Amino acid sequence: MALTTNISFITSPNPYELVITVATNLAATILKIGEGRVLSTEMLASSLVADLHLIPALFLFFSGDPKEAIGLAQGALAANIISVIISIIETILSAFTEEE
Amino acid sequence: MPKLKARIRRKLKKKREPRLIEIYETRFIETLKEFRIPLMMLHTAITVGTIGYMIISGGDFINSFYMTVITIGTIGYGEVVGGSDTLIGRIFTSFLALMGIGVFTTSVTVIVRIFFKEDIINLYRAIKMLREIENLEGHYIICGYDKTSAWLASTLKKRKIEFVVVESNPQALKYLQEHNIKYFITEEPYKRSVLLSAGIKNARGMIVNLGEDTKNIAVIVTARLIKPSREDFYIYSFASTDGTAEKLEELGANKAFIPSKLLATRVAAYIFHTGSAFISDLFDRIAFGEETDIDILELHVEPGSPLIGKKLKDIDLRRALKVTIIAIRKPDGYLDVTVSGETVIEEEDTLIIFGQPRNLKKAQKILLEETYRILG
Repeated sequence: MALTTNISFITSPNPYELVITVATNLAATILKIGEGRVLSTEMLASSLVADLHLIPALFLFFSGDPKEAIGLAQGALAANIISVIISIIETILSAFTEEE
Repeated sequence: MPKLKARIRRKLKKKREPRLIEIYETRFIETLKEFRIPLMMLHTAITVGTIGYMIISGGDFINSFYMTVITIGTIGYGEVVGGSDTLIGRIFTSFLALMGIGVFTTSVTVIVRIFFKEDIINLYRAIKMLREIENLEGHYIICGYDKTSAWLASTLKKRKIEFVVVESNPQALKYLQEHNIKYFITEEPYKRSVLLSAGIKNARGMIVNLGEDTKNIAVIVTARLIKPSREDFYIYSFASTDGTAEKLEELGANKAFIPSKLLATRVAAYIFHTGSAFISDLFDRIAFGEETDIDILELHVEPGSPLIGKKLKDIDLRRALKVTIIAIRKPDGYLDVTVSGETVIEEEDTLIIFGQPRNLKKAQKILLEETYRILG
């Protein structure tokens, strides 16, 4: 899910895009609640960071400051990339521990 | 390269046995999972509504969001967003209302229900308690909570001794909360992980009162496997017969008590001393810790102590520290009760000192400090 939100990021400036991005990011965060795997807290944290960037971006965009919103969206992009990296690491780690 | 891989695999293979607190935490996180479905439903409804109204109104996010919320939340102020009073708008609103109101109310209900279900709150409290227990030191562990343990708990509390109760019966939970027990664990006490999480490694001792000899034996053995030293860790247990008491003491209990016998001997003490109301149970009360005015302290005179060779009147505890030495036990076991100011303290003597608890504490500190000051 983090990947799809990333892609929608890159085409960010359209208002509809922004709303969809926020929606998918929030959905990703909700789905991360309650995971009991190795790096689950870090994943949830990075997801939340992305949300916290995007929600103000949403409000800024529609109350007049699109440039600032895009800046925030880029910050969220970074968080999402980290999210993907963490989930890759976790998949590798769990493959290791499953081998036993 | 192959050697490195093998080393990594060996390190990962060393499976730690999971601590109790980790088991609770995993359980807690998994219960949080139940929030996902209602939240997801809510999220979907709001997103569909918002985007729908944005399309209808041509891009007005904030008002679309607002319209969605007031529709789904059954508030229904009116048609606050651009195109919603057109035909398409109204069709969309009807659709959204029919689907969305159900989603909204069920999600909210489910979320509240999950939150107030007993499990989550108790789990959270248990996790918090286990964390606090990790910081305890010098405390006692009480296994089994019945009337006897309850009395024991309140007595220890009066003397400000911390303790952790381990009781597996969840019905006892009620009583534990009624009596304001600060630390308790609702698990079987004969499990190693449970004892470890009760802080057995830092505890001073344990009282075993599980009601059945077999259970008591299981706990004592498990505990001694972790803390084999009788001087470092005191285990007191209850037993049903003399034979069992002996067995328990051999297995590792410092002392095993037979409840009925203990009661009988105490009542007998009253019988032996009938006639003198105060004296009859003075020593009992002191030994049992019920006398708050007087307590007894045993002070062992180590070799090299500055007290050796001094006469009692030289240290003059009576005036300086307000305590009295009433007897000295010699190393060969002889108890000298005719001590006077002229009695000389010798190496390996044990001084029996009477006094008020706080003066005794002061005396103990001062006499021990003297020793350290001169030796060190």
